[in-house]
Amino acid sequence: MDVLGSLLQGFYTALTPMNLLWCLLGTTLGTAIGILPGIGPALTIALLLPITAKLDPTGAFIMFAGLYYGAMYGGSTTSILLNTPGESGTIITAVEGNVMARKGRGAAALATAAIGSFVAGTIGTVAITFLAPLFVKLALLFGPAEYFALMVLAFTTVSALLGLSLSRGVTSLLLGLAIGLVGTDVLTGQPRLTFDILSLLRGIDIVVVAVGLFAVGEALYMASRPDMRAAEIVPIRGSLFMTAEEWRRSWKPWLRGTALGFPFGALPAGGTEIPTFLSYFLEKRMSKHPEEFGKGAIEGVAGPEAANNAAVAGVLVPLLTLGLPTSATAAILLAAFEQYNLKPGPLLFASSSTLVWGLIASLYIGNVMLLVLNLPLAGLWVRLLSIPQPLLYGGILLFSTLGVYTLNNSTFDLVLLFLVGILGLLMRRYDFPVAPCVIGLILGRLAEAQFRRALTISQGDASVFFTHPLSLALLIIAALVFIGPLLYRWRAARLQSPKAAG
Amino acid sequence: MNTNSPISGAGLAIGFGLVVLGAIIFFDATQMQVPPTYAKVGPQVFPYFIAFGLAVVGAYFAWNSWTPAARREIVAEGFDTDWRALLVIGAGLLIHLNILKPLGFVIAAIFLFMCVAFAFGSRKFLRDGIVAVILALVSYLGFTHGLGLQLPPGILAGIL
Repeated sequence: MDVLGSLLQGFYTALTPMNLLWCLLGTTLGTAIGILPGIGPALTIALLLPITAKLDPTGAFIMFAGLYYGAMYGGSTTSILLNTPGESGTIITAVEGNVMARKGRGAAALATAAIGSFVAGTIGTVAITFLAPLFVKLALLFGPAEYFALMVLAFTTVSALLGLSLSRGVTSLLLGLAIGLVGTDVLTGQPRLTFDILSLLRGIDIVVVAVGLFAVGEALYMASRPDMRAAEIVPIRGSLFMTAEEWRRSWKPWLRGTALGFPFGALPAGGTEIPTFLSYFLEKRMSKHPEEFGKGAIEGVAGPEAANNAAVAGVLVPLLTLGLPTSATAAILLAAFEQYNLKPGPLLFASSSTLVWGLIASLYIGNVMLLVLNLPLAGLWVRLLSIPQPLLYGGILLFSTLGVYTLNNSTFDLVLLFLVGILGLLMRRYDFPVAPCVIGLILGRLAEAQFRRALTISQGDASVFFTHPLSLALLIIAALVFIGPLLYRWRAARLQSPKAAG
Repeated sequence: MNTNSPISGAGLAIGFGLVVLGAIIFFDATQMQVPPTYAKVGPQVFPYFIAFGLAVVGAYFAWNSWTPAARREIVAEGFDTDWRALLVIGAGLLIHLNILKPLGFVIAAIFLFMCVAFAFGSRKFLRDGIVAVILALVSYLGFTHGLGLQLPPGILAGIL
């Protein structure tokens, strides 16, 4: 397969006026929701799903991908100026970024974040371009047993890496799997967990769950915490043109952040949070002036901001080539593919190559748009931060109920939304990560299908998962991800116990 | 809540809730009528896995709530909870879904918006009201006329 030829074809698709418009719309909307705290890319794409049902899929996915990238650009602005992360991938940016803003170097922090995001996003997109065809070749070797093993690996990494503790991640994942059970079993027509309620037979839509957890749960939580309501915006000061010194200190963290972020996104390791934290600590360790960390070190903004954009690029690789979502947003994107009756995986590159390569080409264009949108216009975007919280959350809930209602024109979905919202409030209150729940919901159904297909082929012989070398290897890695931290903690506890007893 | 209490009430409740959920899923799976051709890998297998998993994590959280406070998973939070705000939004959502069809989207959406703004401490009713009316009208007209989706017009049927 000629990669460059396909990419050129992709640019041909992406550069049509209509698709450029979708890209611009996606990146602009993405920047806006990235800046607004309390609303993220997963929620926004979920709310856009009913509206885009009639759109052509290429345009819709170009918009969604631009939105996902844009949210990472915009999120850093909030972290730097408000000290509240706009997105979960920009939490660590707030540490150094906000200190820089308070010291009057906010503009430099914004600049290194935007340029770092651009560098990482572009390198990440190049990596997608050349890695995706390789992944496709690998994916062609996969049978149902291998797919199932891969999903088990995704389950373990997602629950181990997202959130505070393994037990919390696993709980969230299991809740998602349980919600995914509700409805009619595809193979046998057997109703599961429907409690004789007719409306439950068609199952619980992932949009209801994502909106319930991310919007309703979040709004309820924020309302319950008056202490988290007040936040002070630091005005942008300083020049947006970075000094030579700032360039010199930024470029290495950008590259290192990219190198950390992309693999984390591409392997089924999930999300943008972990690589940003790793990047921060790496920069702190490698810095010639570690004493500046905590006092506004530019490396602490440059590295993580590159890492989160590279991770977003990475997430798209397993999503497109294997149909494997490794972040909440990717899970919603997978639902979007289902909405169009498209099945991500190796066949997508053959059957919908216009869409796939158009999408990849649009990422290059989107990155340029985002650099222009974010760097000179940073001052304009900041005004979004002055929207009062009551109006912001009022609007979020208005659009959430609207989006969920238009799914099926049913008020029953709104009842479900309310219930999932309460679940979301409890999870947020007791620090359970919600992303594994959303991923488990959609991946659970796929994993079950592959599991049963594998066993049907082997006529009920469960050893297929262990006799296929690829499947066995994946399951062993999954077990290590799961058991490794437990063993480590057990050893650490044993080493410490004589001292800790007192 | 007292962080020195011998057991964590929240931890116990969460653990218990998870075990009950697992039991419900298990019971539901035992009630399934599985055609003999699917006996080995039927629709009941996955629910059993999930039920077992939920029982394990539930038992873990319940057990964990007895350990010394420092090593507890679920800790009593160190912040005040605004229960009144939660009640206002909760009631707002429930009333909204009940009036959506009889009174129409626009009125229900304005009501919900006002409830949420109130719960978040806003007392600028005029400002909130103007924003609510604009948002509700624009989204109603945009969705119905622009995108061709259906929203209940309710009592404003003839006007919009």
